[in-house]
Amino acid sequence: MENQGSNGVLLRTVGLTKRFGSLVANQGIDLAVKAGTIHAVLGENGAGKSTLMKMLYGVYKPDEGEIYMDGRPVTLHPPSRAREKGIGMVFQDFRLIPAMTALDNVALAAGSGWRFRRGSLRERMLEISAKYGLSVNPDVPVWQLDLGQRQRLEIVKTLMAPNVRLIIFDEPTSVLVPQEVRAFLDMLGLLRKDGFGILLITHKIDEVLACADEVSVLRAGRLTYRAERDEGWTAERLVSAMLGERTPQPVTKRDRAGKRPTEEARRSGHPSEEVPRPEPRFADMPPEALSRMEHPSEETSHPGCPSEGPGEVLRLENGAIAGDHGELVLESVNLTLRRGEITGVAGISGNGQRELAEALCGLRRLKRGTVTIGGKPVAGGPREFLEAGVACVPEDPLRESVVPGFTILEHMALEGIPLRRRRMGIDWRHAREALEASEEARALNLAEAGRRADRLSGGNVQRMVLARALIRRPRVLIVSYPSRGLDIGTVHAIQRQLIGLAESGTAILLFSEDLDELFKLSDRLMVLFGKRLLGPYDPAETDAFRIGERMLRGETA
Amino acid sequence: MKTEADLLPLSPQAARAVGRLRPARKIGRQIFVFLAPFVLYGLFLLYNGVNPWELYVSMVRSAFGDWFGFGETLIKATPILLTGLAAALPARAGLINVGGEGQLAIGALLATMAAVWLLDAVPAAAGIPLMLFAGALGGALWAGVTALLKVAGRMNETIASLLLNYVAVFLVGYFVHGPLKDPHSFNWPFSPEIARQLRLPVFDGTRLHIGFLLAIAFAVLVWLVLAKTGTGFRIRVLGGNRIAAERAGIRVSLIYAGVLLAAGALAGIAGMIEIAGIEGRLRPTTGATYGYLGFLAAWMAWNHPLRLLLTSFLLGMIAVAGNELEIGSGLPSSSVHMLMALVLFFLMGGARGRKA
Repeated sequence: MENQGSNGVLLRTVGLTKRFGSLVANQGIDLAVKAGTIHAVLGENGAGKSTLMKMLYGVYKPDEGEIYMDGRPVTLHPPSRAREKGIGMVFQDFRLIPAMTALDNVALAAGSGWRFRRGSLRERMLEISAKYGLSVNPDVPVWQLDLGQRQRLEIVKTLMAPNVRLIIFDEPTSVLVPQEVRAFLDMLGLLRKDGFGILLITHKIDEVLACADEVSVLRAGRLTYRAERDEGWTAERLVSAMLGERTPQPVTKRDRAGKRPTEEARRSGHPSEEVPRPEPRFADMPPEALSRMEHPSEETSHPGCPSEGPGEVLRLENGAIAGDHGELVLESVNLTLRRGEITGVAGISGNGQRELAEALCGLRRLKRGTVTIGGKPVAGGPREFLEAGVACVPEDPLRESVVPGFTILEHMALEGIPLRRRRMGIDWRHAREALEASEEARALNLAEAGRRADRLSGGNVQRMVLARALIRRPRVLIVSYPSRGLDIGTVHAIQRQLIGLAESGTAILLFSEDLDELFKLSDRLMVLFGKRLLGPYDPAETDAFRIGERMLRGETA
Repeated sequence: MKTEADLLPLSPQAARAVGRLRPARKIGRQIFVFLAPFVLYGLFLLYNGVNPWELYVSMVRSAFGDWFGFGETLIKATPILLTGLAAALPARAGLINVGGEGQLAIGALLATMAAVWLLDAVPAAAGIPLMLFAGALGGALWAGVTALLKVAGRMNETIASLLLNYVAVFLVGYFVHGPLKDPHSFNWPFSPEIARQLRLPVFDGTRLHIGFLLAIAFAVLVWLVLAKTGTGFRIRVLGGNRIAAERAGIRVSLIYAGVLLAAGALAGIAGMIEIAGIEGRLRPTTGATYGYLGFLAAWMAWNHPLRLLLTSFLLGMIAVAGNELEIGSGLPSSSVHMLMALVLFFLMGGARGRKA
């Protein structure tokens, strides 16, 4: 392009910082994007990639730091100003209107003035489509397009904006099937050749290796690594920059040698300090029933899976699970949860965690496959799963578990504490006493029972939902991100409770984005990647690095 | 909303907005919200040559001045209260029932049918309860159609119940023009008069019948169920957060169907009371607009059954004032609907953001 700035640097940031309350989302980010290059920004979830991009697109105003374009300082907030300066962004969740045709969506973004010049717009649209191989039928309503087509439309829309020079792609390949990824990367190459500056946000290392000219890695809000292609980079270097210098931790708090005596001690009436809990309610099953359920499964042949597990409680066979729009999110999923074991699930978020958890709570019907709990097939809704002894802690408790205006006590009554009738009503005093007597509530330092749950902080809500699940002493616990956003003390309390619950016999499926936590708690590890549930792996025989690679590149790694 | 504010860091503008409402301003705002509709409607009256002050004074006087006026207000408030409950109860489960109008009409239809065809010679002690039951059944049946469409057909209950209102009105029209027409009516479309003993007992010196006591009893009952029982608890959970309710294993469809049927029964009882308490026979217009007024009252009361007692009384008062207005000034009585609408708009606007 003609108007490139000093030595081709289109956009440069110096010391860009963004805070949300006490949370520092970005700290002192220095970034430079040259025209005609692809600059990849790598990082785990929550590393601050999106915040950074939103500052560059003008959604957020930086708290500190400067942004320069063509060597001159600029203000990009609000987005209309960023667009004026030639920055375009292709969002992960597209900004399209489903009821309108592709052309009208483009007109909405690129058209100006009173009159819709559909004719000339269509010409330009087709021209751009042809030039970059972004085929989209202009006259089809958007709701009929699949995700790949919608993305192409979104890109065309961005390219149609006058004077766009720098394009930000936010996790663009997450919606694409493998064949489309190839075409997408080729298209990026064409854009690069035409002098566009490209910022590619991703967590997939293979894409970076395939196309990027320059890479910046973010971890916990800071830049941890920056390199250009000529400097040479390796997948290993990038993975460790993303995940940090986490030393492999083959030994866990829960290694088998340590676990048995604890359980024995509890049985013989000397409860260990960590597990001050009475006998389980659901988890307690007669041994005959257990042995009846224990048929040999294919998992037992895996090296990482000890066959001496006390018995399987939940089994998902050949499961296929659809997402919110009917698209297939997971297929051929096999999962066995055993009594007293914690199965950890790692994976970059958006790889089917929510769908799998919801399927195991009965909220999402399986497209194929069967769930068996305690030897009996369970096919119904959440009620059937609940009655079979499954408790769930959702990913977003505030949205999925909190009822506005209700107190903590009322929330506890909803799933945790069994309610007693009193005359025609509910015996709330009994419920309150039960809650106050509960070890779990005390251990988790639950807020006062009469407080309104929708006014609690995120951490307190998390504690409440966890305590509720623990109080039921479920046979199976499906728990998603139990320590997300919590301080270290609470995290430890929660982890101790989970270990204690497992030792009392509950089978736990733990979704987490914290590898340390997964290694610390899990008896077996599994990884969600590319519509599959990989594993199980024995945490004693693998390490964070290898799991990290599976999260990012699947089993080919 | 509060919940989001807790989660997300407040932007400076939002923080200012939260801090802006100090107690004094809050009270001032409430007074404004209460007075503004009367002032606006007063301007309308002035434009039409009516002294608004006189009207408002006579409105209060007619409502509280003597027993007859007070009774008239209660007579108007009774069906509004019942249809209000028919809107408020489903609303607590997260459903919007706009079908009070039709449910009342079918309730009145079935009550009249029962009275005319079956209960003509039955004594009051058995006849009135049976007629009441017929009214409740009619309303429940009509709401049952909505419930079926909602639960089995996954249709929107708001649209379904609204559209069924028109069907109900035409159905009543068919019966009073045909099978249920009074043979001595000189071809007017109304049913025969129901038997004397089936009329609700009336307080001396007024037209006020015991139906209003019944309505108040139902309001208290609905409140008790919602506030005290396990069923009410589950209804409120569902209304508060459907996902949480599902996760807790609450049978969502069952509750949806249950509250809609109960709501229909309540509106149907309002229809029965109109027949047995006031009109004595079914006309195509029996109970018209009460369904919508009840909906209004429910919204004004934030779907709280006890607050509904107040709002339905207020609407009853305004409705009675409409009669005054027509006699005194020549403005149609329905022009007070403007006042009702203004009251609703200001109440809802004034309470924005308060709910959570």
